[in-house]
Amino acid sequence: MVSEQFSAVPVIKGTRGGSSRMTSSSTEGQRRRRFDRLVAVFYQDMYRFAAWLSRDKAIAEDVVQEALLRAWKSLDALRDDDAAKPWLLTIVRRENARYFERRRLETVDIDNLSASQAALLAETPNDELDDLREAIFGLDDDYREPLVLQVLMGYSTSEIAEMMGLKQGAVLTRLHRARHKLKGNVEEQ
Amino acid sequence: MNCAEYREAIAADPAFDGGASHVAACSDCQAYQREMQALNVKIAKAMLIDVPELKMPELPDIEADNVATLPVRKRWLKPMWFALAATVVLATSISLRISNVFQSYDSLAEEVLAHMDHEPASLRVTDEPVTDERLARAVPANLAIFDRNASLITYAQPCIINGHKVPHLVIQGEYGPVTIILMPEEKVAEATPIDGINVKGVILPVGDGSIAIIGDRKEQLGPIQENVVNSVTWTT
Repeated sequence: MVSEQFSAVPVIKGTRGGSSRMTSSSTEGQRRRRFDRLVAVFYQDMYRFAAWLSRDKAIAEDVVQEALLRAWKSLDALRDDDAAKPWLLTIVRRENARYFERRRLETVDIDNLSASQAALLAETPNDELDDLREAIFGLDDDYREPLVLQVLMGYSTSEIAEMMGLKQGAVLTRLHRARHKLKGNVEEQ
Repeated sequence: MNCAEYREAIAADPAFDGGASHVAACSDCQAYQREMQALNVKIAKAMLIDVPELKMPELPDIEADNVATLPVRKRWLKPMWFALAATVVLATSISLRISNVFQSYDSLAEEVLAHMDHEPASLRVTDEPVTDERLARAVPANLAIFDRNASLITYAQPCIINGHKVPHLVIQGEYGPVTIILMPEEKVAEATPIDGINVKGVILPVGDGSIAIIGDRKEQLGPIQENVVNSVTWTT
């Protein structure tokens, strides 16, 4: 298991170092340390959220790269680090939407997956989990996203409603339907 | 609340804690609740896909233009300059100490004790349990499952220890609050004692992670440790 400490910068590749044109190099250094610390803590959440939104590992990596860049540029807008997780996930969500808007990608056809899409479904040699993962993969975006936010990211239905710009009742309905579909799928196995 | 309403609510949120009187009297809904909670654990496991190593993109320099320009400075008298510098140094050291950002610790036990000092509100003597929703936020299904029926949980908060998000829980012991910190990603080789000013405890190795349990010096932690370890299942 990887031990990610606040100072876990060595695992980060391609960093640029401390050169800066800011008025103060120490301010730049603090900004960079703050960013590295947040990324070290929340990178896994960002990637998994992107992967389940896009249903494609390669796209998820691209989306996270774009999201990291955007987060770096607007880091000063984040006043409170306690709010970093929803802030970063919202950036991932928007970058994912931008990615699909730019590419005008069509909905994933589960019977005709690319290698990168199929890789998401072939994570572990566990039949039960594979089937469930495929069922989650097959959920409509509207159902899959709140489910990921609730189960994987630990958000309440009211927080999900705020993040997705929905009413809480709509979120509850989507979550109920998502689980109902997954339950039916598990029972079929 | 009837069966249909309860099942709809529990399917939307397995941490739903309403309808207690209905579910207490309805064995079918109790079974449905267990089924939904078990399904939720499976969903969490299925969603835990492997994460590739972070490759940080080339981060652009922040343009000086984006930083507010300082007005032309007046020439200050020396004592005033020193006073300002001293204030800045003092404020910075206090804020760093409070924010705990750059503080390093000699050991995990030391960091756990320091963390407890930063959240004194957690050590409230109360018989008011946290809600299921709050517990679910503190202990997300992708980290661990904690059987709340084993103890009276009066505090639940996701916290950061050694750079990892960890559930920080408090249960009520015989001599006051007992802090429990679940650390699924902190592997320890053996049980590590924790010795604070008024508290004592231990960090127990549990699977690939560890659990810190700290209580009053008079508290008999042995039975609590056994109970806590039996209540936790890692899902990472």
